[in-house]
Amino acid sequence: MPATAPATTTTTSPAAVKSMFPQAKSLSMASSAKPALSLQADTKSVATRSIAPESIKSTTSTSTQQSLTARALFEVLLGITGKDFVLTASDDTCARGIVVQKRGEDKSRALNKNNLMLFTGEAGDTTQFAEYIQCNTQLYRIRNGMDLSTRAVSSYVRKELATSLRSRHPYTVNLLIGGVDPKTGTPELYWLDYLSSCVKLNYAAHGYASYFCMSTMDRYWKPELSVEEAISLLKKCLAELKVRFIGNLPNFVVKITDKDGIREIEI
Amino acid sequence: MEYNGGAIIAMKGKGCVAIAADRRFGIQALTLGTDFQKVFSATDKIYFGLAGLATDVQTLLSNRIPSPTPPFEFTSSRPIQSFFLKTKADICSEKFRMKVDMYHLREEREISPKTFAHMVSSTLYEKRFGGYFVFPTVAGLDANNEPYICNMDGIGCITTPNDFVVSGTAENQLYGMCESLWEPNLEPEDLFETISQALLNGVDRDAISGWGGIVHVITPEGVITRTLKGRMD
Amino acid sequence: MGDRYSFSLTTFSPSGKLVQIEYALAAVNKGVTSVGLKGTNGIVIATERKSHSPLLEDNSIEKVSVICRNIGVVYSGMGPDARILLDKARKSAQEYKRIYLEEPSVMIMVKEIASIMQEFTQSGGVRPFGVSLLIAGFDDLGPSLYQVDPSGSYFAWKASAIGKNMINAKTFLEKRYSETMELEDAVHTAILTLKEGYEGTMAESGIEIGIAYLEHTTTKEGDKIQQGRFKKLSEPEIKDYLANL
Repeated sequence: MPATAPATTTTTSPAAVKSMFPQAKSLSMASSAKPALSLQADTKSVATRSIAPESIKSTTSTSTQQSLTARALFEVLLGITGKDFVLTASDDTCARGIVVQKRGEDKSRALNKNNLMLFTGEAGDTTQFAEYIQCNTQLYRIRNGMDLSTRAVSSYVRKELATSLRSRHPYTVNLLIGGVDPKTGTPELYWLDYLSSCVKLNYAAHGYASYFCMSTMDRYWKPELSVEEAISLLKKCLAELKVRFIGNLPNFVVKITDKDGIREIEI
Repeated sequence: MEYNGGAIIAMKGKGCVAIAADRRFGIQALTLGTDFQKVFSATDKIYFGLAGLATDVQTLLSNRIPSPTPPFEFTSSRPIQSFFLKTKADICSEKFRMKVDMYHLREEREISPKTFAHMVSSTLYEKRFGGYFVFPTVAGLDANNEPYICNMDGIGCITTPNDFVVSGTAENQLYGMCESLWEPNLEPEDLFETISQALLNGVDRDAISGWGGIVHVITPEGVITRTLKGRMD
Repeated sequence: MGDRYSFSLTTFSPSGKLVQIEYALAAVNKGVTSVGLKGTNGIVIATERKSHSPLLEDNSIEKVSVICRNIGVVYSGMGPDARILLDKARKSAQEYKRIYLEEPSVMIMVKEIASIMQEFTQSGGVRPFGVSLLIAGFDDLGPSLYQVDPSGSYFAWKASAIGKNMINAKTFLEKRYSETMELEDAVHTAILTLKEGYEGTMAESGIEIGIAYLEHTTTKEGDKIQQGRFKKLSEPEIKDYLANL
């Protein structure tokens, strides 16, 4: 049974409310004719909002959260849909602070035969969350004798992450979910961030890499890419990162998900 | 609101209402998706849109990821009144879909736009502290086909003007456009033209809204849905 | 041993009865008679106000009550039980209004009350309510009159009576009721029905009447609006009706 987050009852002190809504004054007068638009969701308040209201009092956790999110930006996840496959790549580096701790890390988990989930974010949260999802998708198969589709998995993951977002300790993970329909081979790629926004895309990237790679993929991606073409596009993206990105990411784990399953390839 | 961006307008016409939204999905300045759905139908005669933080839009509106491209032009003729699960799963919402469906099952009648708006409002106010970062807009026709529009802030304070409502990051630009283009008693086609021009020209002056738009004109005969191609940059 | 199944109310007797519910109905049938009639443009509900002693303050008894602006209720049976239901009904109406900014429809209110009454026939450690209710209201669908019994079952009526004199009252109503009757006539018929079983002469302080009707008002903006309303008739109003019988 998938664990459900316990319902949290919110008892917020006036001080906490004030720290949450700096412009609380205009909010309390919200019954005037024009709607008060002081709930501005800029990056900062989004990060603040992403922890549950009751933990807002602790300012340290707010700043930690932001720096962790910032570090996740250096990690690279890429996904490209092709004719009947999804090509994904993730860097293999574990870093903490300014130190590289490990090379050769696989930042993905196979959810079932035809669905792969890639993740970046706060160390610990990432594998914990990914394996939790992995276990539950596999449990689903055991119980129901069939696999969840890519769309169903993404919907499930989105709900898990959205519920976690409003709990005391939300998971800080960014995700790509790639998969194909085992019968038709139709590929699907879903992009989810730690706030649990979910969009279906033809090609996607997480972290700073998106600033470097999205334009390359905008230019060269086309429907019905062959494996060779997709790999060539991926190479263009990685080359761009090598040239322009400050991060030192020498190796990538590249995987292809198609009708036959998930396999790692060398490029 | 500035995290994902977005723009939504609703306008009153003569015996009709229109609601329009842009289609961009992005994280701050980075555009990622260009077919993000922000407007949904609650019933055949009520449409509503949410501007604001994308994750909350999805939580409240659409756990289901909408199909990629709606048909270019689609005019629905209204089906026979059936109260049972009136809303179509694919085009409606998670939290609000459930609430509207439950209303229809319990009350055995169709929810009116005004009642729907108050339901949305009280849902938002339930989470007054640490709420959803969404700014809803409701447009619909009531049982007598009287137009109704309103929008509200993130905690459910409703405004019901007689002309138009706007929300999203392009709000200021849209106010300007609507103020100069809107006039009373527009027929459905003229209302479509007005709201489309207001939307496209409004979002052109907002960096984080745009990438075309989608317009629904709700008339007693049916809903006209059209997607708009804008500057697409 | 015959009483074996009359203890726990959640236990069926071998004949398939929940005897506690039947006892509750017996309590209702000992109660003071109440009647309800539907007119073309409204509903009337009425009951006797019976005081056990001439020393009692008549106006301290209230048996016809307002639930919300468009719905009212009258009971026959045990007063304290009815009061609990009334409290719950009023609270539920306000909760509804808080969500939708709209008065609940009569059907919704009836279902709410009926489900509370049903719950008390299936829960442990409780007994059923010793009351039947006549609920009158005016909503989008027009006027409607419902009866709710201790079992939680409910029916819509054109005219009905509950309480001690129910059978006679119903026979009377069957003779006198007409579908084209307007509210005014309905009030008269209701009074006449009560009069059938009334001991002594009927004075305005001896009965209670409530009506559900459509109120026409003009807003500050000059818009004409119609809203369903329920109100109790004042003693002078009842006096007028009695005088015109």
